[in-house]
Parts: sequence; structure tokens; C-alpha cells
Amino acid sequence: MISLRRLEVILAHEVRLATRDPVPVLVLILFPIITMAFLKPAFRPALVQSGHPHANGAEQVVPGQATLSAFFVVSLITVSFFAEYAWATWDRLRASAASSLEIVLGKAIPRVVMTIAQFAVIMTTGIVFFGLDIRGSALALVPLVVTFAVCLVLLGVAVTAVCHTAQQAQAFAVVGMVLFGAIGGALVPFSVLPHWARVIAPITPTYWAMHGFTAVILNGNGVGGVEAPIAALAAMAVVFGLIALRRLRFDDHKTGWA
Amino acid sequence: MSTSSAIRPGGADGLGHRATVLQVEGVHKAYGSTVALAGVDLTVAGGTILALLGPNGAGKTSLVSIIAGLRRPDRGRVRVGGIDVARAPQRARQLIGLAPQETGVYLPLTVRDNLRFFAGLAGLRRTELRERVGAVAAALGLEPLLGRRASQLSGGERRRLHTAIALVHRPALVLLDEPTTGADVRTRAEILELVRGLADQGSAVVYSTHYLHEIEELDASVAIIDRGRIVADGVLADLIARYGSSALELTFDRLVPDVARIDGCTVDGSRVRIPTPDPALTAAQLLPHLGPHADALRSVEIVRPSLESVFLTVTGRHFAPHAVEPVG
Repeated sequence: MISLRRLEVILAHEVRLATRDPVPVLVLILFPIITMAFLKPAFRPALVQSGHPHANGAEQVVPGQATLSAFFVVSLITVSFFAEYAWATWDRLRASAASSLEIVLGKAIPRVVMTIAQFAVIMTTGIVFFGLDIRGSALALVPLVVTFAVCLVLLGVAVTAVCHTAQQAQAFAVVGMVLFGAIGGALVPFSVLPHWARVIAPITPTYWAMHGFTAVILNGNGVGGVEAPIAALAAMAVVFGLIALRRLRFDDHKTGWA
Repeated sequence: MSTSSAIRPGGADGLGHRATVLQVEGVHKAYGSTVALAGVDLTVAGGTILALLGPNGAGKTSLVSIIAGLRRPDRGRVRVGGIDVARAPQRARQLIGLAPQETGVYLPLTVRDNLRFFAGLAGLRRTELRERVGAVAAALGLEPLLGRRASQLSGGERRRLHTAIALVHRPALVLLDEPTTGADVRTRAEILELVRGLADQGSAVVYSTHYLHEIEELDASVAIIDRGRIVADGVLADLIARYGSSALELTFDRLVPDVARIDGCTVDGSRVRIPTPDPALTAAQLLPHLGPHADALRSVEIVRPSLESVFLTVTGRHFAPHAVEPVG
């Protein structure tokens, strides 16, 4: 059973820890914005060639960079667990009255909110400064972003569960971001990817996020255009959640930073 | 219903009998083929200090971890305030304050935020939380440091914060796993003083250590743990009266000569320990008989009955915190 009061205490604590060092979050917002500035012109020809003559490049670069930088949350959530080992606070936390579920939720919820906020800032910047035109329903993007954020955070918990050291977790998180970002069409337009990459792309959450963004932003769809991506992301979230549930052992010996 | 208010420090019946706070029954624990605990039984009442004494690897930390609910025993049962730790860990943990062996604090947070977080997890709110944070900070000399980040504290200050976290919610059972390891003189004195104060206020304190003199300073009850078993337990004075023995100890710069190997002695290379009720008299009688071996004599020590001699009697080995080596 979850105690809402204890969960509130853990949430406040996690937010306090995050605000003590806001640099990673600021970098994750600034990095895609800077990247958008010089990648936008490069993507226009690819979009025009794929049947969108009025595209200016922002339709790919804004959601692509937002999706890519959102992937950093996988790294951040693993850090939030492994830092407990580095500070030797993990046993203290476990010996407190907080349940395992309260501890996991306390770490996950702020990161989901942070990822959603990150999307909101980057998309707004895209609209205001990079001429991003959302042809479909902008509201349809809300459930897409929320599901994607939950999926990534659960992926982070699953990575934490299967890794024994912070270094392993970071390797998974960073390689996953680059690989999934590239194959899923966040790094470059999906249409320019080789055939084999397009075949395996649907196994990545990035593909489904970008699929949903393209449906709404470029193809002018509403909620109907994001139903399939949301369903796929939700299914992946369930898989990651099950891995976390099965493999996350609170009495495992893990190494914070060797 | 929360039981955290049912068992609070200071609980005693009208006859002055202290309520049992901790009951450990037949606890076994093995890690692969290594047996850490081989059937441990313990009872600790409120208002008392139990010192768990044993060298590294004796099983102290395993026992503390099992009591705190961090590990499950392979067999046996632990009850805290009458609550089975394995069956209702969350309820039991509300009664426990644990300071693990390794200093564990949130380095980016201030001393105040560290204390507030754990007090909040224990269910303290607003005025009570502020009062407890203030009280525990005052008791451990942390008041001037409340606004300072833990990363900016000295090692001794961090150790005090680490201990304060365990005490902030005034737990009925305090588990301190080698709390003075790495502590400076001031911190050590404050921690010992605090432990005495906790017991005076009615908490049951389990104090794991390998420092014999701390137990003597605390005048605690002692459970000597060796190779996963409690080999002796009781009030310190009783243990010394029962197992402690005076002895004469001679150290040579070579192997102990035969003339010094008296019946009942234990020999450890160049050192011989001779149990005797009157070490001075034994020395006066033995030393003239050393003859040419007297030149090899490096030290003569009179050993009074102490916890160390208790340990030697019950385990057959000298107490060496970091190693378990047989004597003789």
C-alpha cells in the first residue's frame, strides 16, 4: 500500500536533489535548441523530397531533437538510483518506513514531469523561433509525450534493475539514446535511413514517438494519428515495467561510482 | 493502525520492568557456503544498551542488517516491538533507527534537509519535525551546521549527521553499526554520550563495535559474537567475574623458551600468556628461572581481568578486531 504522505516526502526530496544541481536539466534543454539552429536547413530537402513541399526543416528537427534529448532521462533515472549507492544512503532509505514502490515512484514521477516540461519548452521554442507549424491538433501531442516520458522512465528503471554498476547503466543509457535515436528517425529523417534500419525501427520507442509527431505535425492528423504510437509506447512501457518488477532487487549489491 | 506510538522509548511497567523491544530467535544466515549467523538468540529491553562485540567477519553487520529488515534470515525470527520484521517490515521499521557501518548522507543536501527527509519518512510533521531536528542537532553539536551542505562537512561532522539521522524520529530500537569507526575524538565522545542518553530515555540500543574500551565506557550488556554465534552474553561485570582472568604475559625476541611454558599457558610465537590469580607473584617466581633466556625478554605485562580476557576465555583467541587468528 502506498502512503501518499511518504510519497510526497520522497517527491519533495527528489526535487530538492535535482534543484541542487540544475545544470543537467538546463543542458538538456539548451543542447537541442542549439542543435536545432544548425540542423534545420539540412533537413528541409529530405522532407521536401518525401512529399512535404512546404516543410522548412523544423518539422523534423524540433521533435527529433526533443525526442533525442528526452532520452537522457534514462540516464538521469539510473543516476538517481546509483547515487544512493555512491552516497551509501540506499540502505538507510530501505531501512526507513518507505516501501519499495514508494521509493521507485518517488524517483520516477519527477523525471516524467521533467521530461514533459522539457518537451513543452523545446516545442514552444520551435514554434516561436524556428517556424514550426503544427498542422494537426497540438493537443494530440500531449498524450503522446506523456506516454513517451513514462516509457523512457520505466526503461531507465529497467536498465537500473539489470545493471550492477553505474558505469554499466550509463553505457546502456548513452548507447541506447544514440542507437534508438538514429534508428527511430529522431537523429535524421526516417526517409533517409537504409532499408534494414527502417525494418527494425519499430522496436524502438523513438520510432513510435517520431511516428506520432510526424502524423500530427507534418500530416495534420488529430488524436487518431497518435493512437497507434501511443499503444505501442504503452506496450513497451509495460514490458520495461515488468522487467523492472522482475529484476529490481532492493538488496542487490550495486556499485555507485567505482 | 500504526504501532509506532504503541512502542516508544521509556516504556516500563509499574514494577519498573522494561518492555522487551527486540527479540531475535534462532537466526541463521549463510551467503553461499559461508555461514554468517549460526543460530543467534538475543533479547534487548527498552532502556538498555547491548554491545555486539566481535572481530570483523564475526557476523555483527549481518545480524544488524537482518534486525533492520535489510536482509531476510534463512531461518529464525526477529521481532521489534512485538512486530515480526519479515512479515510486517514497514511497521517494524517505523520503530527502528539504523546507522549503518558506512557513513550514508545526501551530500548535495544541507544537514537540515538530510534530517528533515528522514524525519518526514518516519511520519513526523511540522512542529514535531522541527523540534526533533533541532533536538538531535543540538545533541550532536550539529546546530551551527544545519544550513551547510553535507559535502562541505568534515569526516567527523558527517559521521555525527549520519548518527543523527538514525535518531531523529526517536526510535524505540536504535541500531548503531560500528558508529565510531573513523570518528575523531570529539565525535566519538559525543556519540557515546548520546548512546547513554538514549538508553536513559528508554530506547533499546544495539551497539555493534570491535572497540573493547567503548563497551567498558558505556557499561553496556555484552553479546560476544564469534563466527556467527553468540558465545557469551550478559552484564559486563558479570561476564568479567565469570570469564575474566588475570594473567602474566611475557614477550621474547624469539620463540618462547620451554622454561616459560607453564601448564595452562597459551603461546603465540614469541608471546606467552600465563593465567594466574596473582600475576605479580607469578612474575617474581618465574623471572629468576629464565636464566640465559632473560636476555631475550622484551616485555612483562600484568593483565587484569577485562573484556579482552573474557574474549580470550570464551573464544580461545586474543581479540583482534581485524583478524581471527588462533593462539598457541
